Amino acid sequence: MKMPKKARIVEKHGIWAIAPVLIFLIAVIVFTSFAVKNKDMSKGMNIGIDFAGGSILTVELGSDILNDSEKYNEHYDHIESILTSEDIAKQVVDFAKEEYGIDIPVSSALASISYVQTSGNDTDMSLIIKYDNISSAYDTKMNDITTQRNKILENQIRDYYETNYPDNGITVSTSYIGATASATLIKTALGAVAITMVLILIYIMIRFEIWSGIAAVVALIHDVAMMVFLVIIFRIQVNSAFIAALITIVSYSINNTIVVFDRVRENQKKEKSIARSTMLDNNSIVNESIMQTLVRSINSTITTMVAITLFAIIGTASVREFALPVIFGLLAGFYSSLVIAPSLYCLMKNTADKRKAVKNNIIKKDKPKYAGAKN
Amino acid sequence: MKKWQSIVILTVLAILIVLGSVFGFVSLDKGELGTKNYFAYITNISLGLDLSGGVYAVYGVDESKLTDEQKDKLDTLIEGTRASLESLLFSKGYTEAQITVSQNKIRVEIPDEDDPDRIFNLIGRPSSFEFKEYVDGAAGDLSLNDPNGKVKLDSKFTGNDVSNAGVTYDEQTGYWQVALSFTSKGTEKFSTATSALTGSKLSIWINDEFVIAPNVNEAISTGSATISGNYTYDQAYDLAVRIQSGSFPLVLKLEESNSLTATLGSSAIKAGLISGIVGLVLICIYLIAMYRFMGIAASLSLWFYSLTYLFFLSIFPWVQLTLSGIAGVLLSIGMAVDANVIIFERIKEEYRNGKTMRTAVTTGFKRSLGAILDGNITTIIGALVLIIVGASTIKSFGITLLIGIILSLISSLVLMRVVLRCILVFNDESKAKRFALKRAEEEVEEEIDEDQDQDISSVEKNMKNIDKGGVLR
Repeated sequence: MKMPKKARIVEKHGIWAIAPVLIFLIAVIVFTSFAVKNKDMSKGMNIGIDFAGGSILTVELGSDILNDSEKYNEHYDHIESILTSEDIAKQVVDFAKEEYGIDIPVSSALASISYVQTSGNDTDMSLIIKYDNISSAYDTKMNDITTQRNKILENQIRDYYETNYPDNGITVSTSYIGATASATLIKTALGAVAITMVLILIYIMIRFEIWSGIAAVVALIHDVAMMVFLVIIFRIQVNSAFIAALITIVSYSINNTIVVFDRVRENQKKEKSIARSTMLDNNSIVNESIMQTLVRSINSTITTMVAITLFAIIGTASVREFALPVIFGLLAGFYSSLVIAPSLYCLMKNTADKRKAVKNNIIKKDKPKYAGAKN
Repeated sequence: MKKWQSIVILTVLAILIVLGSVFGFVSLDKGELGTKNYFAYITNISLGLDLSGGVYAVYGVDESKLTDEQKDKLDTLIEGTRASLESLLFSKGYTEAQITVSQNKIRVEIPDEDDPDRIFNLIGRPSSFEFKEYVDGAAGDLSLNDPNGKVKLDSKFTGNDVSNAGVTYDEQTGYWQVALSFTSKGTEKFSTATSALTGSKLSIWINDEFVIAPNVNEAISTGSATISGNYTYDQAYDLAVRIQSGSFPLVLKLEESNSLTATLGSSAIKAGLISGIVGLVLICIYLIAMYRFMGIAASLSLWFYSLTYLFFLSIFPWVQLTLSGIAGVLLSIGMAVDANVIIFERIKEEYRNGKTMRTAVTTGFKRSLGAILDGNITTIIGALVLIIVGASTIKSFGITLLIGIILSLISSLVLMRVVLRCILVFNDESKAKRFALKRAEEEVEEEIDEDQDQDISSVEKNMKNIDKGGVLR
């Protein structure tokens, strides 16, 4: 590996901040534009059924459709066309206006199907379709409107089958699911992530020093934030799989940062024993350490990316939806461990060293800034 | 190490890898083996709802049996029942079960289960569980707070005092037992009851039906007990589930249950398997291209790691792979390489700075140990937090993660080291190029590097001086 004579990495912390800030700004723009368009904050992100709550439509069909895929598709298409019919959405909008005086756009009254399952056996075949609720699951009025929509949908489907297949004994039911269970999932997941970060901070403070601990945890927060921002930008569905992706990245990405800081620790020891001085040139030590671990960082990122990228390419849409955030997280982790964490470490360490110097009266107390610059 | 030793070690490893691959991925039919069917152990890994489908059931609350007080706080009671159900299912190995509450109904989805009726009926059967004082021949046993009894408790001793009920095997009798653990209140009650009843009997009632009356030999204050009644596994299991669902705040009624298909299905599993195998091959090629013979050592231990990982996933309870689990496994293959890369880069560096090949390898391992351990311990901390704090789904992910980290540490720090030593036996100092090792002066990039390399070698020299000088102090 070629390396430039004197790498200047940590000095350029201003430049390194540009990319994350840019991604943050784009995410804010995308979020607000979607939120404004749908007149609803929660639409700024593409939140999946397991978080926002949702409804389950169960249609029990007769046996005649099971072994015939064409007929299955026919039924499914028909039910789907009812679920996504604008007429029903308009009825729901009218209902909301009359009963509650709330204006909701037609687009958000449309049901969007999250997934379809089949259930049962030859004689008793059911289609189970899960779709989203109207708006936030925490708003009781919206819950009533959603329940009303479910009733309308149920009746439409029942009517259709009673006229067209009177002998099949088809039953239709809908049930409404709140977001309670998923709220606990998010809470425990975020709690777990927070506790992990605190423990990691403590561990690194013991094994390294406080500044490396803070820098490493900030890098972790950066990775998680970048995943969230990129998911907002690309409108990827946020569901429990995304939470799992976040946790995966939190537990794996710290590794990269540790390797760099381990090198810094080692080089500091060497430097101290030669120079016999308390004031080390932090910047050049950290730059050197980054360059020494660069090959390893690139190799490790490549090997972790290989399998997960293949998975995203071969897999279906829902596999991709999970794999993409993981890939974002890996890239963010690569970036943060190489430039963000080290730069931050140097910023803090240099300031701390200066303070210490002031305290020891090496530099006059009155004008620490000038003196620091000279030093 | 002698040549013959390393040949033996490498041969054994090769055989293990081949056997592992065969047993892991190939299923045999009756005809081919002549005895029993054998299923590849990879097929034994239990899968989550999204990948394999499962069964679902909807439970309602029997409102006619509710008291007014219960009706007032129905929401809290339902939430409590949901939580108890979750822990019941988790303790029975259904870590990926999903429970949702909708309009006073509880919907339970359980992955990968062939016999839905059994588990659902057990949960749905209204059960009440009570310890009573055994009265021989009398019309009925006495509740533990009965004024006529020997034991004086504030309230009845019921399922609410039981925190968990599991199944254990008694090696002495060859029968299965039900293991109970009590809540802190239950522990107190059980200790009071057993000390008052030492020498006589305690009876157990489920749904006001007499089940068994074990002898009380001594006062038990440990907070746990076992019921042994010469049960078969199924009997003990049923009893345990019934006792546990007897502790639910509400009595549930099974309204409907049926099977469910997967939301993602086999295509996701296939995609995971293909990308795992292809990814592994690509990583091996990359490692061998970068590190030559050292890459071969890493590839061997990586294959071994992947096979053992899958094996542990298939035998460990509480592991139910979901989509995120598959991705976790895929990532872990890449991460297992990480430690190898750290070590190899270190070995290259040590050799570049003038060490012999063998010392370079030894110091390379020694000096990279800190980084590898620190990195992995932080990941282990993360996994443990997930296991302790997380809800069921997160828990099972944490377990998958933990198994992966521990195995990868073993494979890179122990196995890879042994394999590398075995390969080194056949190569003397002149064969350094085979290991992608170069001296500083051989490097082409002198014009750029000179400055820094001198720095480093002078650092090395100084280090040596200081090491020697250190004795004088």
